[in-house]
Amino acid sequence: MKKNWSQDNLSAYVLLSPILILLTIFVVIPFFYAIRVSFYDWSFYQESTFVGFRNFYMVITDRLFGEAVMVGLKFALMVVPSTLILAFLFANIVKGLGSRMASFVKTSVYIPTIISGIVASVIFVFIFDYVGGLANYVIGLFGYEPKGWLADVSTALPSIVAPAIWLGFGLTALIMLAGLLDIPENYYEAADLEGAGAFAKMRYITIPLMRNIFLFLMVTGFTANISQFELSLVMTNGGPLSVTTTPNLYIFNHFRNDVMVGNSIAASLLLFLVLGSISAIIFKVLNSEKAVDG
Amino acid sequence: MQAKKKMSWTALLSILVILALAVTGCGGSGNKNTNTSPSSSSSPSSSPSSSGESSESASETPSSAPAEKVTLEFWANKFEPTTDAWFKKWVGEFNKSQENIEIKLTIVPGDAWDQKMKAAQAAGKAPDIRTLDYGKIANNAKLGAILPLNDLMDPTLFDDLYDNVKDFVTVGDKYYAYPKLVEPSTVLYYRKDLFKEAGLDPEKPPTTWAEVLEYGKKLTKKGVFGFSTAQNAGDLGWSSWGLQYNSAGHLPVTDDWSKADVMNDGYKALLNFYATAYQSGIMPKQQLSGYADATPFGQGKVAMIVSGSWAMGLFRNDFKDKLANIGVAPMATIDGDQTKPTATLGGWTLAIDGKSKHAQQAADFISYLLAGDPKIMIDFFKTSGFSKFSPRKSVDEAMKADPDASKDAFRNMVAEKIIPYSKAEPIYPWDISFAFSTAIESAMKGTSVDKALAKAEKDINDFITKSNLAGTNPK
Repeated sequence: MKKNWSQDNLSAYVLLSPILILLTIFVVIPFFYAIRVSFYDWSFYQESTFVGFRNFYMVITDRLFGEAVMVGLKFALMVVPSTLILAFLFANIVKGLGSRMASFVKTSVYIPTIISGIVASVIFVFIFDYVGGLANYVIGLFGYEPKGWLADVSTALPSIVAPAIWLGFGLTALIMLAGLLDIPENYYEAADLEGAGAFAKMRYITIPLMRNIFLFLMVTGFTANISQFELSLVMTNGGPLSVTTTPNLYIFNHFRNDVMVGNSIAASLLLFLVLGSISAIIFKVLNSEKAVDG
Repeated sequence: MQAKKKMSWTALLSILVILALAVTGCGGSGNKNTNTSPSSSSSPSSSPSSSGESSESASETPSSAPAEKVTLEFWANKFEPTTDAWFKKWVGEFNKSQENIEIKLTIVPGDAWDQKMKAAQAAGKAPDIRTLDYGKIANNAKLGAILPLNDLMDPTLFDDLYDNVKDFVTVGDKYYAYPKLVEPSTVLYYRKDLFKEAGLDPEKPPTTWAEVLEYGKKLTKKGVFGFSTAQNAGDLGWSSWGLQYNSAGHLPVTDDWSKADVMNDGYKALLNFYATAYQSGIMPKQQLSGYADATPFGQGKVAMIVSGSWAMGLFRNDFKDKLANIGVAPMATIDGDQTKPTATLGGWTLAIDGKSKHAQQAADFISYLLAGDPKIMIDFFKTSGFSKFSPRKSVDEAMKADPDASKDAFRNMVAEKIIPYSKAEPIYPWDISFAFSTAIESAMKGTSVDKALAKAEKDINDFITKSNLAGTNPK
């Protein structure tokens, strides 16, 4: 018995060690180091000086940081629900398709996922180009004047939401589809016998059983979209004014321009708090439950 | 059993060591290069091109070097192809010319520069020599990020510089960089053929802002915008300095950096000019390209464009067929007085890293490249289409003997009509320029001028208080 026990332990350590080491090197140590550095005026050429909470004070009192967090929230609130709804509808359609057709459709919606955000941004920059862009051509067909999509305060954020939905749609749809296929067919059969219509089945079977999937997609979706960075960097560079400056772009701009680095690290830690609390709120509102197996 | 246990622990330990090695091996070369299109905000670089080329090394691998040979890292910003070629050519010449120093040139795109440099500095691997623009010298010197050159270079080399440029590289009583070129940030280019079509005299470019707006209106037609200049805060931040001097006579902070100074008629007129130009429809509603990149003008999409003197290099190299129709003039002024400043003199220098272990050798290279034989620098100005200007008297002197240079109309116009009235770039933190240019942009996007200025005043004052800036002007 004892022998087995130590053998098991050993293999457990061996299997765990790669991820533990990687996490320690790339997550744990940098995290604590970042906390330390955030209390310093950190310079590469002179002695760093301890400044207490001054970096945090600077970030919190910076109007732009507050605006950036709001931009991140607005962005996520536009992207996540629309992606979820579109993907949910799409997954339901795919579920009903024949297997050959379904695999073709699945492959095609997944393509945007493997395209990097930078490439997608460049494609959409062309689409939103002022002269000769596709978007202005299309509205021109209906007799409208060309619009400065990315330069107009009111259209800039929706214009970067479009590629974000496009990028996130494929993966979300596939996860939704997996969730749908996981619901035992006999639930629906039972409901049919009871005479339930399509909406009743959706309302009482599909949506409740998809709760954990929604929860997962919302938490990851919100975190990923509030920390969205490359779309606004490439497409608008945070402009016009600061209406597309997401929190990460704000941090990046400080990192690039500031003489001292402490400020951007303090901002990152604060963003970490913001993201953590948003995830906590989502978990609280949508209680995660273990699926009841039939 | 005991032995067996021991052995598996050794096995585990060695796995850990191997993993750790693999992981650190990966970490060392993490050289990510995001490629982005809007030019990096703070650097008034001459056409900071952001092409896909990441970074390349020009020098051959140092082979069969003598034992005492010193290898120095040299990072240069990516500029026009002609400048990149010039750097490669003369670094190669330098490496061939002597046995003791090997320069390794890396060309870094403008938008990747800041991240790459920060990462290298954090790792203690900053390049020995780097390109640096005038605006950043004072702050880098204050931090000790670059070394004073007084003891490393022959002092007579600095006597060769024009006095105003000498001032650009001086902090306190020391020189911190050696200048390579100066270039005015603001020049007006216009299409003579389109002027004629619109019934305007092609030899009479606009001289007041009112005329710019009026001509712009006449020149705007389907497919051609009458006028183009910077239109987002990032570009406006540096490209409007000259026009700020022009209308207000100063920049948005007091000389001792103690408070904002924007609430005056000059600044109001400036914001009104930008706002009217944008809202009257003579400018594209969304920029066709960044301020530093005058390609849309070369392509015929714009009839008048404001850009830096470097744009002429672009036209001469890429749009040869259009040259005959391109007119050049100083930017119009608020009241038509062309002796008021319209531009700041930007430009690039070479500086030595504060932690360089071979500062003397680095200085020797700078002395050779920028301060040595005038023919090296003449080669540079020639290949860049005389769109940049020499900070050295001896180079200008030598160029007088060069028929191409002395007869060049563009060079003469800029040298006579723009540079003498130009101002130095400000050295206060970028946040101030950005706060003010945000005001210009918000006025363009419809905020009232008074409100925009009031916000800029508050933002600048807040920044000054928060970062204890008052009285820290190093000059």
